[in-house]
Amino acid sequence: MENKYIRNFSIIAHIDHGKSTIADRLIERTGTLSEREMEDQVLDNMDLERERGITIKAQTVRLNYKAQDGHEYQLNLIDTPGHVDFNYEVSRSLAACEGALLVVDAAQGVEAQTLANVYLALEHDLEIIPVINKIDLPSADPERVKKEIEDVIGLDTSNAILCSAKTGQGIDDILAAIVDYIPAPEGEGNAPLRALIFDSYFDSYKGVIAHIRVKEGHIKKGMKLKMMATGKEFEVTDVGCFRPQPVDLGRLDDGEVGFIAGSLKDVRDVRVGDTVTTADHPAAEPLPGYRGVNPMVFCGLYPVDSADYDNLKDALEKLQLNDAALVFEPETSVALGFGFRCGFLGLLHMDVVQERLEREYHLKLITTAPTVIYKVYKTNGEVLEVSNPSDLPPATEIEHMEEPYVEAKVIVPSDYVGAVMEISQDKRGEFKTMDYLDTNRVLITYAIPLNEIIYDYFDRLKSATRGYASLDYSLAGYRQSRLVKVDILLNGEPVDALSSIVHADRAAARGRQLAAKLKEIIPQQMFEIPIQAAIGSKIIARENVRARRKDVLAKCYGGDISRKRKLLEKQKEGKKRMKAVGSVEVPQEAFMAILKID
Amino acid sequence: MENNIQVDDAPRPWGIYVHIPFCRQKCYYCDFASWAGRERYMADYTAALLQELHRRGTRYAARWGRPATIYIGGGTPTALPQEQLLAIVAALQGVGAAEKTAAVPAGAADGHASGTQGLSPDLPLEFTVEANPGTVDEAYLAALRCAGVNRLSFGVQSFDDRLLRRIGRIHTAAQARASFAAARAAGFDNISLDLMYGLPGQTLSDLQPSVEQALALGPEHISIYGLQLEPGTVFARQQEQGRLELPDEDTAEAMYDYMTTALPQAGYERYEISNFARPGHESRHNMSYWQDVPYLGIGAAAHSYLDGQRYENMADIAGYIKAVTEGESVTSEEEPATRQIAMEEYAFLALRMVRGISRDGFAARFGVTLESVYGEVIARLEAQGLLQTTPEAVALTPQGMKLGNQVFAEFLL
Repeated sequence: MENKYIRNFSIIAHIDHGKSTIADRLIERTGTLSEREMEDQVLDNMDLERERGITIKAQTVRLNYKAQDGHEYQLNLIDTPGHVDFNYEVSRSLAACEGALLVVDAAQGVEAQTLANVYLALEHDLEIIPVINKIDLPSADPERVKKEIEDVIGLDTSNAILCSAKTGQGIDDILAAIVDYIPAPEGEGNAPLRALIFDSYFDSYKGVIAHIRVKEGHIKKGMKLKMMATGKEFEVTDVGCFRPQPVDLGRLDDGEVGFIAGSLKDVRDVRVGDTVTTADHPAAEPLPGYRGVNPMVFCGLYPVDSADYDNLKDALEKLQLNDAALVFEPETSVALGFGFRCGFLGLLHMDVVQERLEREYHLKLITTAPTVIYKVYKTNGEVLEVSNPSDLPPATEIEHMEEPYVEAKVIVPSDYVGAVMEISQDKRGEFKTMDYLDTNRVLITYAIPLNEIIYDYFDRLKSATRGYASLDYSLAGYRQSRLVKVDILLNGEPVDALSSIVHADRAAARGRQLAAKLKEIIPQQMFEIPIQAAIGSKIIARENVRARRKDVLAKCYGGDISRKRKLLEKQKEGKKRMKAVGSVEVPQEAFMAILKID
Repeated sequence: MENNIQVDDAPRPWGIYVHIPFCRQKCYYCDFASWAGRERYMADYTAALLQELHRRGTRYAARWGRPATIYIGGGTPTALPQEQLLAIVAALQGVGAAEKTAAVPAGAADGHASGTQGLSPDLPLEFTVEANPGTVDEAYLAALRCAGVNRLSFGVQSFDDRLLRRIGRIHTAAQARASFAAARAAGFDNISLDLMYGLPGQTLSDLQPSVEQALALGPEHISIYGLQLEPGTVFARQQEQGRLELPDEDTAEAMYDYMTTALPQAGYERYEISNFARPGHESRHNMSYWQDVPYLGIGAAAHSYLDGQRYENMADIAGYIKAVTEGESVTSEEEPATRQIAMEEYAFLALRMVRGISRDGFAARFGVTLESVYGEVIARLEAQGLLQTTPEAVALTPQGMKLGNQVFAEFLL
């Protein structure tokens, strides 16, 4: 197809502003899927994605659209992940487009997440079409939202489309605007091949399937191709597009979006942001913007039952087939035995991986509290990167330490500015800027240590602002910081998996809170369990879990034995989910206790 | 439907439980199948219950003869109008009346060899009705006694009016004493009282006079129950709202210690975790639950244990009446019985009895020794001071009684 009949676009929206529903309506309206084939929110494949209303993997779909001018257009919709953890992935998806629909909820207005993605789109010179969704809501105020878009983002909203994905109103206008306003792709069909990989997934029959945008040249079945960053060479066995099921076309030309597959076994050979070229006549330069995987948050994952170690390893390897951003390496804990230290793009990514391991692989896991990478400058001149508190050298060998900071952007109604500032100060935040987006909404920027963000920063923001706060953050370098390790001792024995690295000024309070929280979490046992928090050899807090005194199940009415049995089974099940640390049975959630202290 | 596998058709001890799901008022701690304000269903319910009894009771009586124990519980059985409850009692008296009575199986005469206690078939029928003080007068009780009921169980719970109100009971301590006297006057010589401890606002010094007053009445049997919070009850809601002042752990333990000491000192021997009786007045029906004896449950939400399988009746009153009237089954199987489940239940139920698990009884029932299945568990719990063993039996120690659930859970395989 001639380039002038192709449009490549993505949709930018905050969670719940209606991105997936609009995508569904576009698919439906262009007849790509019949109504019978439509399943709500076609593009979110994983159960988890549907449940959480988020997109984790990018999806694409090709729509054929007959425009007013009588021509048939090829519209390629690239659905992007919508979460801050996947910022880099979003930027690659946007780099594959010429335009974007900016979907904003007609009642809620612009949110921090939207802003972050709009700025990304603007960086890539995308044509942005504002779409005000949910105008059928009684609380919809499209004029206010338009003004907000103009004031905050500086976008002209005179051509903004009012729509309701729910009722279908405005969907035709969106299709027309895509053709009218989004530029056709420019590319040189005869140049050496350069195609951008913006996502990949593993298919058990075809191996790794790469989502690509052909920028220059073309791809045909049977061609020998090469990944410019990883150097991996392979032969194309499948090339085509999604509608939304994969359709083999045999060829993709410059300007088009689709997929390729070919004897690729390892998702790590197929890096998001890498450039595909031909093996024989490679392009001189890769496309700009490639970046290696860069995990920010780490935690230890251990099987509750140590016999599950190999199963956990298999499961992580399988997940990694589909998730190049997941990194892990074996780790040993005195308390928890053999497990893995895993690195994630962010907290959501960590959550999703844990949940999939438990749900899809039926593993009972113990997760240690998330940490970040600290830089440790030792007195002997050595510099270590430490993500596991128990790897921290003794205090006497440490000259100083650095911790990662992020720039956090929070948008809230102005009534809650005080609350946001209080929480941010409490999280060792350094105030940067405050801007009124309109008379009612404020954008507040703070520099905050990442290790404070990964505790309960967002949860606290949400509860202090009745859920109105939206948050976005990006890494903003390392700063020197006075950090110490707080250890926990159960029954006099240090439990390495409960150690944490905290700011020196907070250490005493954190130790007390953690000991108190553990007292709540650790159930009574046959003997008394002292809980102590310590910095080095100095005990900073002490609690006691008293011995269990009495546990009698008295009533049994009308011979209902099954009910008794269920109670006993539950009790036994609860015990199975605990880890024996020395002689103490410790529930899984104890290892995350540090996240639960107020 | 119940299995038709007729595994043993010799006359043998078995029991009937009848459930009456009506109450004048729902107590704040109660999550059993009982409802207040459904008096309009009583007549139809009684009719349906008689129909179910006729259908199922006849069948088991034909196999096993007359039942050894009958227990009408609730709810509040005495919330029923006298003539309805009497009709039920009469029908129960008729179950198996025409059948041959249970002969003593060879070698099982002392009850110990077969692993059961107190169910020697030559004993007369034990027929218990639960009654709540304030729902009965002497005439009502005399009518029950005449109809063949020979044991009463009073839900007294406490002799402290403040506490009785706090837990949603409809009666006072004075009414409890009056009902007890009426029962004696009506000719009942086997009466049990329920007492509760660990109630909101209750202290050890509140409990002591209640226990003393219970003892002063001189019942034959006393059951003690520690309050347990169950979801869906008034207490659970109060707890969520922070309005439930439960005694702390130490106090609850002191109450338990006090009761388990004071009752034996007064001549009530503990024969089961929560039951105490003057010798010879143990509740045979209650013991049959713990000793693998079959029982037939009649009425809404009643449970049965027949031929090794557990069954449950539908709980909804209207649904129950409709199903019975239309000739449908109201009974469904609970978890299918497996050998493993049977062993587990045999073990942890028998442990509720002071005499514990009979090694011979276990071997006779399962064809393997108790040691071969639970040897490791028993040794571990014995080392922890929770179990005591003899060549004949494995039983809870006093400490094991206190931590019963911890022990029972270990017997799940």
